[in-house]
Amino acid sequence: MSGLYGSLSIALSALASSQQALETTANNVANANTPGYSRQRSVLEPALPVNYGPLTFGTGVVISKIESLRDPILEIQLNQQTQHQSRLDTELQQLQQIQTGFGSASSGIGADITKFFNALQQLSPDPTNLALRQAVLTAAGNLATDFNLSATNLQTQGSNLNQSVTESIGEVNTLTAEIASVNQQISYLENVHQNASSLVDQQTSLIRKLSSLIDVQVIPTDQGISLTTSSGAPLVSGGQSFALSTDLASNGSERVMSGSQDITNTLTGGSLAGTIHIRDVQIPGMLGQLDQLAAGLSTALNTANHAGYDLSGNLGGNLFVAPPVGGVGAASGIRLAITDPTLLAASTDGTPGSNGNLATLSAVHDQGVVNGQTPLEYYSNTVFQVGSTASNTSADASAADQILRQLQDQRGSVSGVSLDEEAANMVQFQTAYQAAARVVSTVNALLSDAVNLGLGGTMQ
Amino acid sequence: MRVNPYPMQDLLAELNQTQLAAQKAMIAISTGRSVNSPSDNPAAAALEVQNNDLTSFNEGYLQNLTTVNGQFSAADSALGSVVTSLQRAITLGVQGATSILSDSNRAAIAQELTGIQSQVISLANTSYQGNYIFGGTATGALPYDANNADPSGVTYNGNDVVNQVAIGSGYQIEVNQPGSKIFSASSNNVFLALNNLIVAVQTNTNVDTAISSLSSAAGYLSAQRVFYGNAMNQVASQTTYLNTAKLQLAQQQNSLVGVDLPTAATTLSSAQADTQATLAAISKFSQMNLFDYLR
Repeated sequence: MSGLYGSLSIALSALASSQQALETTANNVANANTPGYSRQRSVLEPALPVNYGPLTFGTGVVISKIESLRDPILEIQLNQQTQHQSRLDTELQQLQQIQTGFGSASSGIGADITKFFNALQQLSPDPTNLALRQAVLTAAGNLATDFNLSATNLQTQGSNLNQSVTESIGEVNTLTAEIASVNQQISYLENVHQNASSLVDQQTSLIRKLSSLIDVQVIPTDQGISLTTSSGAPLVSGGQSFALSTDLASNGSERVMSGSQDITNTLTGGSLAGTIHIRDVQIPGMLGQLDQLAAGLSTALNTANHAGYDLSGNLGGNLFVAPPVGGVGAASGIRLAITDPTLLAASTDGTPGSNGNLATLSAVHDQGVVNGQTPLEYYSNTVFQVGSTASNTSADASAADQILRQLQDQRGSVSGVSLDEEAANMVQFQTAYQAAARVVSTVNALLSDAVNLGLGGTMQ
Repeated sequence: MRVNPYPMQDLLAELNQTQLAAQKAMIAISTGRSVNSPSDNPAAAALEVQNNDLTSFNEGYLQNLTTVNGQFSAADSALGSVVTSLQRAITLGVQGATSILSDSNRAAIAQELTGIQSQVISLANTSYQGNYIFGGTATGALPYDANNADPSGVTYNGNDVVNQVAIGSGYQIEVNQPGSKIFSASSNNVFLALNNLIVAVQTNTNVDTAISSLSSAAGYLSAQRVFYGNAMNQVASQTTYLNTAKLQLAQQQNSLVGVDLPTAATTLSSAQADTQATLAAISKFSQMNLFDYLR
């Protein structure tokens, strides 16, 4: 037993611990709004006791560690859900852009098809009327223009997405380099047994940011953590990062490369996967449908126009420039082959007043031009597909968002700083500090009594 | 369990949701449509394309009906005048057949008959909106030219093709009768009968025979006129049908994509109330914590 000095030292340890604990509280309060911050807690432990004969005396209190409260499993779930949600969000955004081209029943390709066939009907009571013939050609021209416009819009959207693939890869590389450098610092601090908690928070937020771009798997290793894509392409290993690159393929789309390996189609999460899915699946699919419709419709109308005679009594020619064989590029390339309204082949026998071939042209309206479907059936199926893809993705995205928010709530309940809690801690440590200080002053009084023993009075 | 001390993200997401709902309801009310992009209701959006097609065609058929009806009434009234002229010709023929007439009187009658002949030729050359309606599909040239060398006194320049026009889905009607069928049919040729009568009156031979063949030709022509009467009846009943169909299509379109105003208004006001409640919650949040009480 060490007497009054022992008590003084115990009181001092209490003062120091309370101060440190208050510091932790202050740090928590300061970081209450810092994204990715995990609240910290000072872990108080009794100091090693001393034995004096049969008695054991405590020697005060120490702070054994300052721990960060975080749930590693929850962080992994958050990463995964962020990847999922971010992909769906990107897809939804792009699909909504696609569907604006198919949004109106009173304009666009569908309405143009209707207007064209209706113009043919209007011409039939008066087949020599040049104004009505011109109306047919104008309607056909509008139809061709809208096909061109829709195809061009889709192509432009595709090339914008291509651009965004390159940009995303740039961001991914910046993030993986940052993560590698944070990894290095963490392992340095841990080697010298220092607290790397705030760096781990930083690492966690960087991985979360990376998750919104690309699918990331976190693998704990001896040298910190390794990151790979879900298909195993390396991104970060300890203090080293592996940059992804892009490579322009022959079809003009940017491929994502890990070293010399093309990993474009193996990406499953993050906005990058969404961008690639829209660029490589949705847009080409939609363009293909427009191409088929444009090719089927223009071929059928050309055939019908060939079957009749124009206003001058000559056999009819092509109404539209013949679509390319196989139809690829038909929608962006479709245009009128004739500009002279007299060349419309309305007549069956070469007499100007005959309207028989208009019925043949009009019959294309009800003729299977693509896969046995009439032009409008095919078009309205396309509208349905565009709409239901967007609507399903929207439902998926809002479900994913709900789950993500729940996980964030859970993370908040584990790692979030509660000001009430910190205030309570502050009161607690303040009181502890005050009590320890009182012990110090009491011991001080006792010590001065001891110093003045035998002097017959108190020390002045 | 410890609660999430910062539910702000949740509250903001909630606010976003309610504002989105309010915005959708507002767009629906202002556009009058519940389907403003295909994803709002993919099936309805696809059906609307078809509905739009039917509606537009319906409108087109109605316009066609107006056009062909004009042509029908022009043809019908021309034929009506022809019948009147032919009756006058028959009356004149009967007068010419009377034996007491002098040559000069007959010449006068023959002259009037010649006048009627040119009148009938001109009626057979009636045009509607620039097209000759009794020339078959050879609408560019006069169907009948006077030609004294021909026994009928005319040459037919037209053909015998009949045009059809759609006035409904799968419903076509013939819109013209060629002159070769009405005026110069081989068995009942109005022009031949008329020309024969003129010659008969001039020469005072076989006038009775000529009168009887003219009246039979006139009867045949009247019978042909029934075609236009029928056609105009068809036009009238099809117009009624298409106008009904137009209403039905509009109703269908409204039930597909139209907005139900009371529902939309209710959605809007409840979304607005939600928004206000969420805003109030956000403003109350973090107004106080334990620190405020430690003074």
